[in-house]
Amino acid sequence: MATEQNSVDLVDDTVVRQFARAALLAALIGATAAVSIPIPFSPEPITLQVLFVFLAGLVLGPVWGFVSLVLYLAAGAVGAPVFAGLNGGVGVLVGNSGGYLWSYPIAAALIGFIVHRGTELRDLTAVWLPVIVGALLAGTIVIYGMGTAYMAWLLELGAWEALSLGAFPFIPVEILKMIAAIAIVRSGGLRPVRS
Amino acid sequence: MLTFEPDETLAHRLDPRSKLAVQIGFAATALAHPTPRALIVLSVLTGLLLAAASVSLRRTLVAYRFALIVLVLAPILSGLSLGTPWFDRPAAVTSGLASYRVLLILLVSAAYVRSTPVRASRAAIQRTIPGKPGQVLGTGIALVFRFLPVLQSDLRTIREAMAARLGTERGAIDRASTIGTLGITRAFNRADRLSLALQARCFAWNPTLPPLEFSRVDYPALVLAIGLALSAFY
Repeated sequence: MATEQNSVDLVDDTVVRQFARAALLAALIGATAAVSIPIPFSPEPITLQVLFVFLAGLVLGPVWGFVSLVLYLAAGAVGAPVFAGLNGGVGVLVGNSGGYLWSYPIAAALIGFIVHRGTELRDLTAVWLPVIVGALLAGTIVIYGMGTAYMAWLLELGAWEALSLGAFPFIPVEILKMIAAIAIVRSGGLRPVRS
Repeated sequence: MLTFEPDETLAHRLDPRSKLAVQIGFAATALAHPTPRALIVLSVLTGLLLAAASVSLRRTLVAYRFALIVLVLAPILSGLSLGTPWFDRPAAVTSGLASYRVLLILLVSAAYVRSTPVRASRAAIQRTIPGKPGQVLGTGIALVFRFLPVLQSDLRTIREAMAARLGTERGAIDRASTIGTLGITRAFNRADRLSLALQARCFAWNPTLPPLEFSRVDYPALVLAIGLALSAFY
């Protein structure tokens, strides 16, 4: 059996706390996959996952928000039932909703980067509101841009067909999720880990 | 729901790394060739792979029902056109073939999920990706698996408590932000306790992993994986 002979390399205190939060947030995003609300005019059900992608970027910042979503995708890839409809497996990552899934880490990193202006985390109640709104809009555009572009390429659809299947039905719900995300961070109950 | 099931099939005896390689090779070649001929060959291969892991086709299709709806709607939507001829058959057929290959990829990944325990996947990731990124991924995946049921029951508790207080009568924003705030606060409280426990147990960048070894049945699987990946270029 393979053993390592090096001395123990302990993980830094801030890193452990952020890592534990990133892993638990990834599990929470997976847990919300079970809470799916079907809507009549689109085949894809509504899930609260995007709300938590917003929160990952806002609360964990660009680096650990990104790590959290990568953990979510990796756990799903090896078979945790964390994707919409309680599915898992590598197949889902290249399947029809693959584009949305791959965009999550990028969107979380982008939101974190805009709001925290770098990797050092700031107090969210002190951030100017339009900055948060702009960051969430940018994140949403990344998610739906990548999601529909990939779906259009994969299923050989035209741009309008892909948008009407994969983006337009969700716009009202996305606005609700943005308002909810802003309400959550503005309530001041969540404090980012600061080194 | 697709999960690992203990069994004695051929797929269960393979090393997780060769199974991952077969999946990646299969996806690469299926995405490169949406032609009827290639799809017939890949369908036969999918059948063999499902049999090797003794996956129930019916149960897997039920588990993928949401994906199936999109895959059925895409060719229909792609064929519909405003004005004559109203339904564009070639476009629908192209899109239909494209959708079918996605279904095959999903089925192959179901075979992996059924035949691989989490700790084997984790060891495979940590041995393939060196250094700290591999550690973060490996440990993180294990934590996600461990905490998924816990947080699911947290969310259930929150929703039941909301329903008991007529929270279901409130607006969508109000409900979403309540679930969001409570869900994330509970998760982060657990995370803070977990990080303390991890530090108390000397959470390190270099722990000892379970052993993984290629056996004789892995070599044909690896050859298949490489063959599939190369076939993507022809």
